[in-house]
Amino acid sequence: MPLKLFKCDETIPEREKHCYIKAPGEDITEFLPASNVETIPGTLSERGCSFCGSKLVIGGVLKDTIQLIHGPIGCSYDTWHTKRYPSDNGNFQLKYAWSSDLKEKHIVFGGEKQLKKSMIEAFKEFPEIKRMIVYTTCATALIGDDPKAVADDVMEELGDVDIFCSQCAGFAGVSQSKGHHVFNIDWMKEKVGTHEVEITSEYTVNFIGDYNIQGDTYILEDYMKRMGIQIIAHFTGNGTYDSLRSMHQAKLNVTNCARSAGYIANELKKKYGIPRLDVDTWGFDYTAEALRKVGIFFGIEDRAEKVIAEEITKWKPKLDYYKERLTGKKVCIWTGGPRLWHWTKAFEDDLGMQVLAMSSKFGHQEDFEKVISRGREGTYYIDDANELEFFEVLGQIKPDMVLTGPRVGELVKKLHLPYINGHAYHNGPYMGFEGAVNMARDMHNAIYSPLMKLAAIDIREQK
Amino acid sequence: MPINIKEKTRTGVINPIFTCQPAGAQYASIGIKDCIPLVHGGQGCCMFIRLLFAQHLKENFDIASSSLHESAAVFGGVPRIEDGVMTLLQRYPHIRTIPIITTCSTETIGDDIEGTIRKLDKRIKEQMPGRKVKLVAMHTPSYSGSQVTGYNEAVEALVRTFATAGVKNEKINVFTGWVNPGDVIEIKHLLAEMGIDGNVLIDTETFDAPTMPDKSAFTYGNTTIEDLTDTANAKGSIVLAKYEGGSAADYLKSEFDVPVAMGHLPIGIKNTDAFIANLAKLSGKPVPKSLVEERGRAIDAMADLAHMFFADKKVALYGDPDLVMALAEFCLEVELKPTLLLFGDDSKQVAKDGRLKELGDKVDYEIEAIWNADLWELEEHIKNNPGDIDIIMGHSKGRYIAIDNKIPMIRVGFPTFDRAGVWKKPVIGYRGTELLAETIANTLFADMEAKHNREWVLNTW
Repeated sequence: MPLKLFKCDETIPEREKHCYIKAPGEDITEFLPASNVETIPGTLSERGCSFCGSKLVIGGVLKDTIQLIHGPIGCSYDTWHTKRYPSDNGNFQLKYAWSSDLKEKHIVFGGEKQLKKSMIEAFKEFPEIKRMIVYTTCATALIGDDPKAVADDVMEELGDVDIFCSQCAGFAGVSQSKGHHVFNIDWMKEKVGTHEVEITSEYTVNFIGDYNIQGDTYILEDYMKRMGIQIIAHFTGNGTYDSLRSMHQAKLNVTNCARSAGYIANELKKKYGIPRLDVDTWGFDYTAEALRKVGIFFGIEDRAEKVIAEEITKWKPKLDYYKERLTGKKVCIWTGGPRLWHWTKAFEDDLGMQVLAMSSKFGHQEDFEKVISRGREGTYYIDDANELEFFEVLGQIKPDMVLTGPRVGELVKKLHLPYINGHAYHNGPYMGFEGAVNMARDMHNAIYSPLMKLAAIDIREQK
Repeated sequence: MPINIKEKTRTGVINPIFTCQPAGAQYASIGIKDCIPLVHGGQGCCMFIRLLFAQHLKENFDIASSSLHESAAVFGGVPRIEDGVMTLLQRYPHIRTIPIITTCSTETIGDDIEGTIRKLDKRIKEQMPGRKVKLVAMHTPSYSGSQVTGYNEAVEALVRTFATAGVKNEKINVFTGWVNPGDVIEIKHLLAEMGIDGNVLIDTETFDAPTMPDKSAFTYGNTTIEDLTDTANAKGSIVLAKYEGGSAADYLKSEFDVPVAMGHLPIGIKNTDAFIANLAKLSGKPVPKSLVEERGRAIDAMADLAHMFFADKKVALYGDPDLVMALAEFCLEVELKPTLLLFGDDSKQVAKDGRLKELGDKVDYEIEAIWNADLWELEEHIKNNPGDIDIIMGHSKGRYIAIDNKIPMIRVGFPTFDRAGVWKKPVIGYRGTELLAETIANTLFADMEAKHNREWVLNTW
């Protein structure tokens, strides 16, 4: 019985298609959970909306750009202070949230005038900022506002500004994944090739699909720098608007998050013939493999090996310390999608841990192919899992820890299970060699926390 | 000096003070026992609010989404409500009510919520005979009002749906407004001291859920359907936050003749005195000596701090209107000067609120009140008037203004995710007032030490 119908899902039997337990001898040609399809209303799914996929995940990371949300106030407020992606310019992108503050009269008469005024005002209030992304939302998509026409007007009027419009209402698609897609494709169509940066190395890459969570980008950029490689654009960790316009100048697209940013790598290949090289930048062995692959591409293997050797000398003893204590520990990964396949084998190879259940909010078939290929037999692979399913899985596999978001973390705490923030991290960065050690440390500290053991004691039964 | 009330002049918003209506409706709904609200809209309208609540309360709350997708945006979202309600009822047998909370998308599409509820009532009766469940329509388009009006709408919708005339009792309804669980506990304490059987709406005391040895405890709201039903039979209602629950009390007055006392949020001595007076008046019960002592202890503690550390310090306040107005009154009692008040509301009602005029009349310096404001107003004020603001009091969304300008900040209101446990501590009542004064003092002391600014004063304090 490779597909699994949870007891809690007996009244919604269509959920059976979304959960697969890998059996010996089976492969992905036989069974794959259904994915990237509509959520059943009322299931308490963990999914967000496609607007947030575009704004919060990708565009909002840019450190030099006004992020104007064209809609009612909530879309701006709610996607503010929910991410941990710093920048090297004082965290401009974390401090501010802009909204055209749409009201009922605009729903009736249109919101374009309101949008235009808000845009001009925002540039006036931040005179040093010359770049802007305007996002449509459910309300402004439904009333049919044309933000692009407004943006053209504003660009003409102000002269020295550049504006991109992300037209992806919250209800578009089935999850945040649609927002990633729209941002990628539209940025490629409209902005790539409109700016050039100075080339300082014969080895140039775009680093695609890393969002500088707790400083991941700084680690990756350090490796590239030590290999003598120039990063044209970082899509979008610690990135700038104009660097993303220059992506056509790179010789290679190094792609980490294939789900949120694989699209733009593919488009760059189609239009400019820039090859796409997929890497994993989480995990110790994976990072070494990633640097080797990039080194081989440019014929600078020696430089890659030098960085790898230096990093291993520095970090391997620390990793080994944690490996000894984490071997055999059982974990669940309940995150967005790609982290499932980035992490499952890394935890197994680097730390001897077992990943026994994984749930993806917005992964597609391709993500499940990868994770099931890399993952263990007997492990649960679930698409868009909901709260009751989580409880059932936990009851069955009894993990030592869960990697998930803070809200679900609060829930599993009541079951005496520690969690590590699988989205924004506890104390990252988690990428690269150093990051793998940070992550191992955080998981170790969570699993060995005295508190969860204390929680199990009932003082009424003390002898 | 007359208060200077003005409106923000910019069109757009930079760093909002509030989020939109559905968030307020969701906050009210999670306070109801055996209830999972269904947010009818895109998935973000529910997912982000759940995250926001988890940030503030460090707890998980169950809120469902109708997961509106493109097809529904074109053909209408009614089937998504129907599926959502039926799925919730099938999988959560304990549910007794489902508020259906609309959003900008579903209000724009124009889904008929009331009609759908009637249809669903019939379907539930047929398919789940004996199942007692009430569906509650909450109309909260995100393009009107704010989280404040959304909360108000939700409380009113709950009371309208459930309040039923029965045997009159001695209870007093206390509509708290959007306050913290710590405040609810404090209100219950005051009721207990007065010997009054209160019906606290919405009762969020249980939001502070323990981790239990048998893993049995989860977070839930503590106001029951019976509590809501019984609101019609109370001896009276006291409203602590006019804009957050006032209309529910008005409805009970007009429909069931339950007298209303519109009060102020009991922050500060005088505001708490007024609450106690209302309790005494409606219940006919005397004020016990224990409360006189509690009040005395608060004054005792505040007197140690006021003219020594607080006098003439200028405070900027922002947040929910009832909270800001009450905090401003409290400031006067401890000799702080609330010179800048920011209201996120775009409602003229707030701008014309009599409490603002009264506030101005009490002082001989200028108080500026900005309505329809955002936090950029505060940031600009501080940038253009360096040194003018000594203390910021508000929620965590303004944290960078305090951090970057090195101004001591006291976290009050919602959300306060960047400080531990703020939501468990009251600012309400005599004890809350005392605690608030001490929190302000300790924040100032830490700031004096960090800046080496007369920190030696504390060598002998």
